[in-house]
Amino acid sequence: MAFFKRKKKKAAPQKEEKVINKEEILTKIEQTKQGLEKADAEDKISYLNQIGSLYLEIEDYDQAITYYETSISEKQEMGKAFADLTKLYNFKRKEASEQNDKEKVQYYLAKSDELMKLTKDTMRGNM
Amino acid sequence: MSVLNFIIESILTQAAITIGLIAFIGLLLQRKQFGEVMSGSFKTMLGFMVLSAGSAIIVDSLTYFGEIFTEAFGMQGIVPSIEAINGQAMNNLGLGNQIALTFLAIFIFNIIIARITKWKYIFLTGQAILWMATMTIIFGSAAGFSGITLILFGGLIGGIFAVAMPAIAQPIVRKITGSDDIALGHFCTIGYLFGAGVAKLIGKGSKSIEDIKFPKGLSFLSDTYLSVAFVMVPLYVITAAFAGAEFASQLSGDVNFIVHAFLQAVQFVVGVYVLLSGVRLLLAEIVPAFRGIALKIVPNAKPALDCPVLFPYAPNAVTAGFVTTTIGTVIAMFILPLFGLAMILPGMLTNFFAGGTAGIFMNAVGGRRGVLIGGIAHGIFITLLPALLVPYFNDLGFINATATDVDTVSAGLLIKWFVEPIINIFN
Repeated sequence: MAFFKRKKKKAAPQKEEKVINKEEILTKIEQTKQGLEKADAEDKISYLNQIGSLYLEIEDYDQAITYYETSISEKQEMGKAFADLTKLYNFKRKEASEQNDKEKVQYYLAKSDELMKLTKDTMRGNM
Repeated sequence: MSVLNFIIESILTQAAITIGLIAFIGLLLQRKQFGEVMSGSFKTMLGFMVLSAGSAIIVDSLTYFGEIFTEAFGMQGIVPSIEAINGQAMNNLGLGNQIALTFLAIFIFNIIIARITKWKYIFLTGQAILWMATMTIIFGSAAGFSGITLILFGGLIGGIFAVAMPAIAQPIVRKITGSDDIALGHFCTIGYLFGAGVAKLIGKGSKSIEDIKFPKGLSFLSDTYLSVAFVMVPLYVITAAFAGAEFASQLSGDVNFIVHAFLQAVQFVVGVYVLLSGVRLLLAEIVPAFRGIALKIVPNAKPALDCPVLFPYAPNAVTAGFVTTTIGTVIAMFILPLFGLAMILPGMLTNFFAGGTAGIFMNAVGGRRGVLIGGIAHGIFITLLPALLVPYFNDLGFINATATDVDTVSAGLLIKWFVEPIINIFN
């Protein structure tokens, strides 16, 4: 019982922290987007991933997906973009399940399949 | 009545038709348009036929290999290939129908278990479920089950594995991914946990392997079929050389025996290519239909995805796990015959996917030392288990192959060692 109590206590302040940070994160996103405009090809991926990650933090899943997808379409680099996209497709699939939107469920499952395949190919190609 | 008998005895006993019907029902349940339902069902049926054709090619090549290997080394050289086992079970043993229905039954049992228990895992890797259905049916039918009981038995065992394997892997998966949203759906989990167990014992305090820069040089393995050929071609050619010109020429006809061995190895790769194309075609319609249903019935499901889901978290560990597991399988290849077991040749596909994923598990709990030692232990472990199955496969008439994917192997052993004796008591 004590274990569950401790967990609950920890969970509450975290949520508050997220709400407070949202404005800050949005500002950070804008700054990073400015950086992205000036970035060369090499830095571009890092900026795209940063923006994707920031959008994920504020739970703007569609934007996060857009930036991460751009990142992996430009350079397939094993890491955060691949890992977060799997989670994001699952979040979106879950949302669609809750809304009983069958087509969207299939859409995100298919996206997840494609990503698995790309991960496999990228991993082996990089070895 | 005679029409009904004709349908039951002559149509529904044909695996290709049963599989087509399963897809038909799945597509209908999704309320697809008539054209899509028909084309989807037909493609599924086609998939089964392609799979059968691939299997026939593999069997021909393996029959040849079995003969030259026995002549060359005086023992059996077994190729670990769940694809070959599936193909032979579906065609040569005539279990296609039961395997197709069990595939569906595993889905249903998975949904029921996830729905009524706290383990909300829905296993989404269709190919792995097909392999599990294959193994539960082979050993379930050998244990004496038949008809609907066999399918329910296979479905129940497979359904339990489909929930239990992601569940037992989840503590480490959570550690790797930092979240509890996604699970691992790959039937090599017992091997991952074995490797991780060894890595934990040995690798305490060892640094993560992700800090090391790895030289690149294995990219030639980036193609599935190239990596199979990489092992099979030298294996066939060397074995033919040891078997000698006199013996091997009897099998090669007018063709030079070494050239023939080379072509037979390529033939094996072609068989795997065709069989896997068939599997893809077979699953392309069925899997989306049923997983859509599963996720509707269990809305708070944790999807258990194929092993690449973990690759982005530790790519170095994947490479290292593949290499160390391969070393382990080569060691086991030579050691196991000393204990009276068959010689199991290294299977590059399993070594890559299972070894790579095991690498991530081992790195998470035992760092680089864990990956090195744990990987070798993992390689030996995933060779030992299939080796234990060989006598049973031989008795059942399988040609020169054993299963891979240790969870499916474990399911087979479990049925053979525990269920079959119980059934025998009652009989």
